[in-house]
Amino acid sequence: MANAEPRWLRYTLTAIALAFLFLFLALPLLAVFAEAFAGGGSAFFAALADPEALSAIGLTLFIAIFVLPFNVAIGICAAWAIAKFDFRGKSLLITLIDLPFAVSPVVVGLVFLLIFGAQGLFGQWLSAHDIKIVFALPGMVLVTLFITFPFVARELIPLMQAQGKDEEEAAISLGATGWQMFLRVTLPNIKWGLLYGVILANARAMGEFGAVSVVSGHIRGQTNTLPLHVEILYNEYNAVGAFASASVLALLALVTLVAKTLVEWQMRRETEMLDTALLPEKVNQESGIPS
Amino acid sequence: MSIQICGVGKKFGNFVALDNIELDIPTGELVALLGPSGCGKTTLLRIIAGMETADSGHVKFAGEEATHLHARERQVGFVFQHYALFRHMSVFENVAFGLRVKPRSERPPEAEIRRRVMDLLKLVQLDWLAERFPSQLSGGQRQRIALARALAVEPKVLLLDEPFGALDTKVRKELRRWLRRLHDEMHISSVFVTHDQEEALEVADRVVVMNQGRVEQIGTPDEVYSNPASPFVYQFLGNVNVFHSRLHGHWADVGRDVAGDGAAKTPADGEAMAFVRPHDIDIERGPVVGGLEATVQDVHAIGPLVRVELAHDSELIEVELTRERATVLELNKGQRVWLKPRQVKVFSVAEAALEEHGSGI
Repeated sequence: MANAEPRWLRYTLTAIALAFLFLFLALPLLAVFAEAFAGGGSAFFAALADPEALSAIGLTLFIAIFVLPFNVAIGICAAWAIAKFDFRGKSLLITLIDLPFAVSPVVVGLVFLLIFGAQGLFGQWLSAHDIKIVFALPGMVLVTLFITFPFVARELIPLMQAQGKDEEEAAISLGATGWQMFLRVTLPNIKWGLLYGVILANARAMGEFGAVSVVSGHIRGQTNTLPLHVEILYNEYNAVGAFASASVLALLALVTLVAKTLVEWQMRRETEMLDTALLPEKVNQESGIPS
Repeated sequence: MSIQICGVGKKFGNFVALDNIELDIPTGELVALLGPSGCGKTTLLRIIAGMETADSGHVKFAGEEATHLHARERQVGFVFQHYALFRHMSVFENVAFGLRVKPRSERPPEAEIRRRVMDLLKLVQLDWLAERFPSQLSGGQRQRIALARALAVEPKVLLLDEPFGALDTKVRKELRRWLRRLHDEMHISSVFVTHDQEEALEVADRVVVMNQGRVEQIGTPDEVYSNPASPFVYQFLGNVNVFHSRLHGHWADVGRDVAGDGAAKTPADGEAMAFVRPHDIDIERGPVVGGLEATVQDVHAIGPLVRVELAHDSELIEVELTRERATVLELNKGQRVWLKPRQVKVFSVAEAALEEHGSGI
């Protein structure tokens, strides 16, 4: 029935969609690169070679690399608990996992200030022991962790629920330890979903602005991540510098997009395999049956 | 290895899944747990396997306490209804799994693993599929691989949860005969869960009929079919005609005569129900003493049998005749005939009422 609509309608709809995509997605992307290279290639590379820019890139990478393993570990634990066990408060846990999506990142930053800041809940204890959390790296890692936490768990919960626990039970009954079961059965089954979640979490970790901005303190060369660096340069009317840094982020977005597509494609292939595995039996070449 | 189940009970919230189950499974026997869905048979199987813990009671393997033994340590082979093959592993690796996860000190060398896996694949006659993946196999092939995988660790007990439930009739029949032969060759105890009475009666040494979390009857296939212990077993195993003695006083009398020892515990007249299988009723063209008068409603020839539907007052009675007998009788629609039961089982109305109330699933 897909072709029942008149031809002009189909063309109009397609044209609107394409125009929208170009105007809101492709054009800004092109503009970023155009601005970045407005002063020529040398100005672009000079802007990126600036020590503050390098420090921002390094800090951004560091935070992402530090946060992702935690994301993976906590995400798998939460998804496992939700998909494979029945317990009281399960729906509450599912709701809580979504909380970081629902709360504005600025609020997240402020909450962490309230808890760990000088006037905050643990402020006195922390300063007494000379531990700096806000306006320092630990605070930025903590808020990033909070913001990116749902990605892995959200990706894994439906996947693990669909797969059930038969294979895990089979592994245990065959004598596998919990760890062997996880490494040999569970992990291979969820690897693409996990990777997908990690890619999304990584993109968010590197691009996060609001929450990190609140707790970073904007100390140049120390607590500036790439998005913060872009904002500072832009406010200083350094368009080439700002857009050069922004183009690095845009490039990251493109890489994420490609990686995401590849993983999605792999996942679809595996789900198709899973689906055929669940198809009801048709009589076909049962020739191997002894009679 | 023998299995003893002593007073096992299990609740899910307010739902009683198992109620004080007592069951002995001797070494080498093939036992079927038979019952309608929700009767607790799968829960019982999972408790034996250690995948579910009982709220009360004990499970013993070869007389030794196994109630708190972890599933990993029970040395049971478990076969799932939906196969539960490891989908990212080849058939070979699926079967080898149980050997590969053994502690280093017990793990056989690679050549030995290879030999044992190929032997098992030959046993299930699928050695030519070793390099395939589960998604490339048919359902029957998958279930045989699942069986080979369970046998790889040389279990002392084989537990099968509706092993043929997801297969079509033809494959199911072939596979269950094959399972019977395999069981006899392996010398292990096997327990399988099924809701298919034909499957249970054909394959098992003993059948455990379950309903509402309780064991209704334990016996050989012949015992449970020919001598059901309760109205539920009667109705669950094959078709049955039920007569209320208040309506058919003379037939309930006949029933008591035929049932013999059952008559002793049959309560006063008017409180009994008579159960008669369709093939245990004979049709006569002329009046017979104690016979029940009925009108022929319909005659269907079904394979080797002829099924006759008759009406007595407003009640429908089903009778199965051999083709020869039907030819002799020459039954026509609307014809008046007399029915005589060969075998009747009488239960008190109280018993039957309990069952009817109970089996409302």
